[in-house]
Amino acid sequence: MSAVSPDLPSKRSWPWLGEFLTGERQAWIFVFKCLLAFYITAWLAMVFQLEQPSTAMITVSIVMHPHSGMVLAKSFYRAIGTVAGSLCGLLLMAAFPQQRELFLLSLSLWVGLCAGGAVLYRNFMSYGFVLAGYTAAIVALPAINNPNTVFNSAVMRVSEVMLGIIVAGLVSDMVLPERLREVLRRSSREHFGHFIEFARGSLGGHIPRSEMEQAHLRFVRAAVQLEDLRSTVIFEDPEARARSSRLQLLNLRYMAAATSFQSLHHLINRLQRNNHPRTAGALIKLYAPVGEALSPASSESAQPRLLATRLEASETRLPALAAELRDELRQDPELLLEFDSGATLLRRFVNELRDFTALEATLRETQGRLQGTVERVDFKRANDYASPLIAVVRTFLTMLTLSVFWLATAWPFGPNALLLATIFSGLLATSPAPLSATANTWIGFALGMAAAYVVTFWLLPGSDGFIMLILATTPLLLIGPYLTARNATLPGVGAGYTLGFVYIFALKNPMEYNPERFINDGIASLFGLMMSGVAFMVIPTLIGTRWLRRRQLQQLRRQVTFAATAPMEGLLYRFESANRDLFQQVVSFTQPRSEESKELLAWALAVHDCGRAVLELRQDMLHADLPPSVLETMHKAVLALAQLYDEPNAERWQQADRAVDHAITLTTQTLPQARASCQPALAHLLQLRTALRDDESALAPYIVKSPESSHAP
Amino acid sequence: MPREIALADALVPSILLVYLGCLLVLWVIDTIVGRYGLYRYVWHPSLFRVALFFCLFGAAGLLLYP
Repeated sequence: MSAVSPDLPSKRSWPWLGEFLTGERQAWIFVFKCLLAFYITAWLAMVFQLEQPSTAMITVSIVMHPHSGMVLAKSFYRAIGTVAGSLCGLLLMAAFPQQRELFLLSLSLWVGLCAGGAVLYRNFMSYGFVLAGYTAAIVALPAINNPNTVFNSAVMRVSEVMLGIIVAGLVSDMVLPERLREVLRRSSREHFGHFIEFARGSLGGHIPRSEMEQAHLRFVRAAVQLEDLRSTVIFEDPEARARSSRLQLLNLRYMAAATSFQSLHHLINRLQRNNHPRTAGALIKLYAPVGEALSPASSESAQPRLLATRLEASETRLPALAAELRDELRQDPELLLEFDSGATLLRRFVNELRDFTALEATLRETQGRLQGTVERVDFKRANDYASPLIAVVRTFLTMLTLSVFWLATAWPFGPNALLLATIFSGLLATSPAPLSATANTWIGFALGMAAAYVVTFWLLPGSDGFIMLILATTPLLLIGPYLTARNATLPGVGAGYTLGFVYIFALKNPMEYNPERFINDGIASLFGLMMSGVAFMVIPTLIGTRWLRRRQLQQLRRQVTFAATAPMEGLLYRFESANRDLFQQVVSFTQPRSEESKELLAWALAVHDCGRAVLELRQDMLHADLPPSVLETMHKAVLALAQLYDEPNAERWQQADRAVDHAITLTTQTLPQARASCQPALAHLLQLRTALRDDESALAPYIVKSPESSHAP
Repeated sequence: MPREIALADALVPSILLVYLGCLLVLWVIDTIVGRYGLYRYVWHPSLFRVALFFCLFGAAGLLLYP
């Protein structure tokens, strides 16, 4: 990363200039890399005597991206996509050599499925799907009038596409690379620092809800971002690959500790609001040694190893302190129970925090291989199937319309329109505002073609040899990558420009100068691009719509149901990771500080809090030798909660409240006989009850103040 | 070593198979080197990796097709 500004004195007087120059430097590095990749590809394609060097160049322009850190990962998935796409193209051609209707129908279906896959899988995997659709189209479409040549054409196209992928990958990996590993290390340390800071800073115990929500937002972003980075870095850095499972475990511990921390603070806040400041005060006092452990002398602050040992020391002091504080309270047994539940939660938090810091310390101190193995955990993504399905239908219909138009009019340039529609319906399907993206890309595409016209018919005819080709094309070609690097100002134009230029330029050896083909092809490709834009108008995208957000919110609520019913094996990580992934997806399309985002945050916190408590309760129910009758009521309570979160309403809230209350009463009665097994379960039940009756949480509208629960806090 | 191999009746240049085999070998070496953290002694790891691949592939090609 180029953090150093090239011009220090000017940075002092005009801060924007330094920033501008830094951005400019990155942009020009990208332009240089792009051009290098283009010309190496063109040269190699001609040396290898491939039929259409332009296909390889188009692939480069699809594949090159300013954030080039994840090149190897991308190339891997792209190669798979290309092979799959070409095989599919071959199969379709072999299956329907004579029936063009069936052939186009199944090709449309395949391209539609690929676009759906591009939406379903985020990150670099989606590119693989785009290429799978694109390769199938470029393999099959040109051979449609002459099916006998399809195999040779397929081999040529795959070689060209692969050449483009490989060259683009090598250039971005080797020429002035941008290392994601450093980003991962830096952001991981930053998040660790933030979290410790936050845990230390909340010594006073009371954090306003809004601040807590912001913190939650930050923790969630951090967890998802770390997972994104980890899953890409393992492809570029074998050292990170060797440490990958530990990084995942670290993330799990981070998420678990953050959830426990939030639950603890909700509990304290509730106690304070419900006129139990003494209990809350006792818990805050209990928290004091932890805060102390987290703030060592300033000279040696935030060394994870040191923090871990200090936390361990403070952990041993907790039980004694808890007993002491409990003696001081000595009043209502109800309040003592609340205190006990808070103390259990606090112990859990300290335990998790210690594990987290210890692992972070191990990761920082050792380099390369780590001894022994750790538990394997996987970050579960939460996917919604509605928007990929819409993308499938939309792309399928676009392709079908274009095919019918082609068949009906016998348009000689129909395949070109189809090809462009294929590329862009995959690339643009993930965009949250596809209409404006299509419009921008369309303008860029048209400009790129105009530039290519100038180059092809005025500059190139007088030039001779590869050097002259470079000299003639560079000035107008470099505009495209430059605009791509400056994507924030003119989104989509750069990609369109580059693709339009390279596509219509149609480099060949020897070059063909045919203005008629040029203009016809240009019209066809602009038409194809326009059709994919029209499709976005007819079937609008779901990404970022209110409907999808509602759906995702519901899915988020059902996470509690999931926590209550799924098999226990590895459930904690699946719950925590899917929760965060889902939340991150919804929150990225809501306006910050709007009414909707507040509601969403409230729900996310409630789901986190309650789901985790349910999980812990189920854990207790597994281990302890509880009396069957108590176990039965706990089961009922868990199920009632699951139903409540499945579809919240007042009636279900009452049921859940009653069930939890009942379980608490029964557990309290059996407490003297089976203290060891009932104590932790009781703590979690109490936590669930306070969460249910919290009148600031998302459940507040469903709370019914009934006379039987009025005695409770 | 024959120049071409018939895979499911499609003639595939056998150098392509050598290429894939070399990629596999590179991946194994890469994993081992990464596990022991030896890339810290290399100035430009990705360049090193590519160079290593060229050595492997070149050697294999020259040995198999003298």
